[in-house]
Amino acid sequence: MPAEILPGPSGYIPIPAVFEDVELSPPGYGLFFGQIVDELTAMREAAKAMLTRRNPTIFPGPKILWGWNAHAMEEAKAILELAAEIPNCRIIPMPDYRPKYPKIDPEAEINPNHPNLTILHNKIEACIFVGVHCHYANLSLRMIRAGTNCFTIALCGELGHEDAMVSIRDLTPEKIRRFREVLIQVREELGISHTPTPPPENPSLPKEEFQTLSVLDYGEYSYLLIPRKDEQVTDTE
Amino acid sequence: MPEQRVVDADELILRTERQRKFITGAQAMAEAVKRANVDVAIAYPITPQSEVMHLVGDIWAQGYIRDYYRAEEEYGAMSAIAGAVRGGARAFSATSGPGLLRGLEAIASWPGHRIPVVLGVLTRVVNAPLSIQPDNVEISYLLNCGMVVLHAENQQDVFDFTLAGFVISEKVDVYIPVAVCTEGFFVTHAKGYVNITPEELKLPPRDPYKAPVPPTDCEIPPARIQRDAPVQKSNFMSYLIHAVWQQEIWSSNKRAMRYINHYLGGPIEVVNPGAEVFIVASGCAAAQGREAVRYANMEGLNVGLVKVKSIRPFPEKQVREVLSNAKAIIVPEHNIVGWLAKEVKACIPNSDAVIGGPRVYGGMTLPVELIMERVYDAFGIKKSKKVVV
Amino acid sequence: MGLEYVRISPGFERYMPKDYVDLVQYGQFGKEVDIQQLGQFKELVEEHPMCAGCFMAYFIRVFYAALPKPEDTIVIGTAGCARLALSQAAVPFIYGNYGDTNAVASGLKRALKIRFPNKPKDVVVIAGDGGLIDIGFGMTMHSWFRRENFTTIMVDNEVYGNTGGQESGMSPKGVQLKMAPKGKQFEKINAVELAKTAGCVYVAKLSPTNPKRIAKTVRRAVLAAREFGPTFIHAYTSCNIEYSIPTEKVLEDARKREKQDFGFYEWMTDEVKEFFEELERSPQEVKT
Repeated sequence: MPAEILPGPSGYIPIPAVFEDVELSPPGYGLFFGQIVDELTAMREAAKAMLTRRNPTIFPGPKILWGWNAHAMEEAKAILELAAEIPNCRIIPMPDYRPKYPKIDPEAEINPNHPNLTILHNKIEACIFVGVHCHYANLSLRMIRAGTNCFTIALCGELGHEDAMVSIRDLTPEKIRRFREVLIQVREELGISHTPTPPPENPSLPKEEFQTLSVLDYGEYSYLLIPRKDEQVTDTE
Repeated sequence: MPEQRVVDADELILRTERQRKFITGAQAMAEAVKRANVDVAIAYPITPQSEVMHLVGDIWAQGYIRDYYRAEEEYGAMSAIAGAVRGGARAFSATSGPGLLRGLEAIASWPGHRIPVVLGVLTRVVNAPLSIQPDNVEISYLLNCGMVVLHAENQQDVFDFTLAGFVISEKVDVYIPVAVCTEGFFVTHAKGYVNITPEELKLPPRDPYKAPVPPTDCEIPPARIQRDAPVQKSNFMSYLIHAVWQQEIWSSNKRAMRYINHYLGGPIEVVNPGAEVFIVASGCAAAQGREAVRYANMEGLNVGLVKVKSIRPFPEKQVREVLSNAKAIIVPEHNIVGWLAKEVKACIPNSDAVIGGPRVYGGMTLPVELIMERVYDAFGIKKSKKVVV
Repeated sequence: MGLEYVRISPGFERYMPKDYVDLVQYGQFGKEVDIQQLGQFKELVEEHPMCAGCFMAYFIRVFYAALPKPEDTIVIGTAGCARLALSQAAVPFIYGNYGDTNAVASGLKRALKIRFPNKPKDVVVIAGDGGLIDIGFGMTMHSWFRRENFTTIMVDNEVYGNTGGQESGMSPKGVQLKMAPKGKQFEKINAVELAKTAGCVYVAKLSPTNPKRIAKTVRRAVLAAREFGPTFIHAYTSCNIEYSIPTEKVLEDARKREKQDFGFYEWMTDEVKEFFEELERSPQEVKT
């Protein structure tokens, strides 16, 4: 009997869903709490979570953030349409998988080496992973399940993810749009009114122009950038 | 360039009509590689696997494989395999005994790097002292690195496991290397009947974009990528990152069972499931076990066989179910440590029923009479004279 | 392809973090950059944890600015200090087991040649003295014997820096380091001569005191490797920690070594020489 994969925090170290006999769903089906269900049920539960839990966020991954082919760009468009339908939704990208030094800005991005930083900082309780390669998605999903109470939804282009609370497989732009319609329907059933609004932009994007930036803007660090003639910079932090 | 038509994997492995040939295990492995649409094969000599790589080299010269070369040593060969597979190619190599151990640093890191590849492991004695004769203790070194380990009983298995190995390793929810192990000389240099698929059909090429990790070819994002950076807890990495990575590998190992069921007809084969005494064996010990079952049945003794095809993932549930009423479990092996007996004991509640033997090693053959001794013991039958071989 | 995978999907530009937007708009992909402009464009390398005063870090910055085609380059490194900066760059990076860089590069280059026969994919190995000449010696030399088409750059700090300062084959004779408490007993290995004998078609030795020279050497090595065979650069990149060089004296030390044993040296086969003459005669860079 596969175990129920519920939102965490599950503890110091998570037990992988596969070790507890959760199996991937066949085509046309999805996973909900580790059990195989039909796709519509999975979509409805995902929609419910995104509409009722706090700070719903979509985490797009490199496969759709970067326009490397027409399919990626089409999926990107569909995700943006979906995001507009979720009240209070944010988009926080996962632009790459490498560990970022010294630390990521948790309001600007999420990274599979430390996804719980972003979840905890932003107090995210429902999230969608889309366009992330399966390996990194699985790592992130397990770390999130271990250390946070976030409800995770995986929209997978391949076979799905056992460690997410809801997993939908074989993703295409059409399926994303179908999910959007299911979400609108669930939203109406729950009596939530909302006009489609695009999520707020990334907080790291600067408001200032580079042309008007001057050395003085760096404050006390300005001397590190441009040492005076013959000056030896010996102070270190 | 020989004419080969691409056929769907299921079609080729499960449904295509086969021809019967009488070939050695090495030939069987090479024939599977010929039909597997392999891009790169990298060789390094060590007896008894050299035969396989000679034949694979011939196949390359005939045009079935796109690149082939002899590397400087096994660690170099296996590292180059990792590089080639990351670049998006489908690769193959083979090694034996000390060669496996020499390349083990690279081989053990393949699963973590998510490198789908088929590695032929044609077992031979591990030094010291040196010998080129068969002994499969080296398989025990492979059991904890995370890769799928299949153990072939005969030449037919070698062909089937190698061909299916490419398909299994490249499944998106698996994506770890598959080792196809068999005994050197006993299987590789001996001839047996093999039903093989036609030469004109081959597997579809590898699609490196249908994968859980991106290939390193500058064609797929993210650009700023170190696919598998060194990870250790720090201010920019969770304390869990390495642990969940390892969990992903072992989850993938477990997920492979579904494809072993589909392409290989299951991880075990059971003969006479209602028996009281079972012989559980893998590799060519299973062939001897089969003979022993035949002898026993001729004498009216209710003996069954469990042939284990997949050592990793180990079919715990299936083995436990088959052996649930067994009063004695005989595990013949070609190694001194008894790694298969340990696997069996670990997954059944009645581990006292396991008789850890007979074991032969260092190149010795396994006479059926040796197994029959244990069978008679299990039934409490006293034979008048001891077996002398 | 190549450039397509470094453009942001339409609609996501306002959701990407700043450094990625900058990378696409002000970065090196698809553009010609002059090394003198360093600091005026978005570099491929981001923040990295290398030591203050590490000359390798400087060399790596210049290296990335000098790549002829960063969108089709793959860098391979190994255990050591260089990988700390290399992993923070917007060029795919492979990190395998210690010392296997040249074997991985051989396999990778061959696979890329099979899959993209008409498109140059540059493979560059950047590793230290330990990784290339000690533990990786067999794989390094054999990749050169086989005439594999990639560039090897040895960032030589004459010590095993990342593991705490042990003696390396490239340490000078007599220097006292860990695991050599009585001083190193044998001479510094002559990597450049080994590379020439093994079959490299372009070999260079330099101390990175002049950014234009570094850029030109790197460019030459990468372009020559596309057609002609393995290329090798031996760069002196000091470890100011293990050799106790005060940060402000690091460049001075590099200049001193340049006068001693790291004077600029370049060797190439006749074919490669002709190729460079042809190339550098016309002012347009080869971006093919």
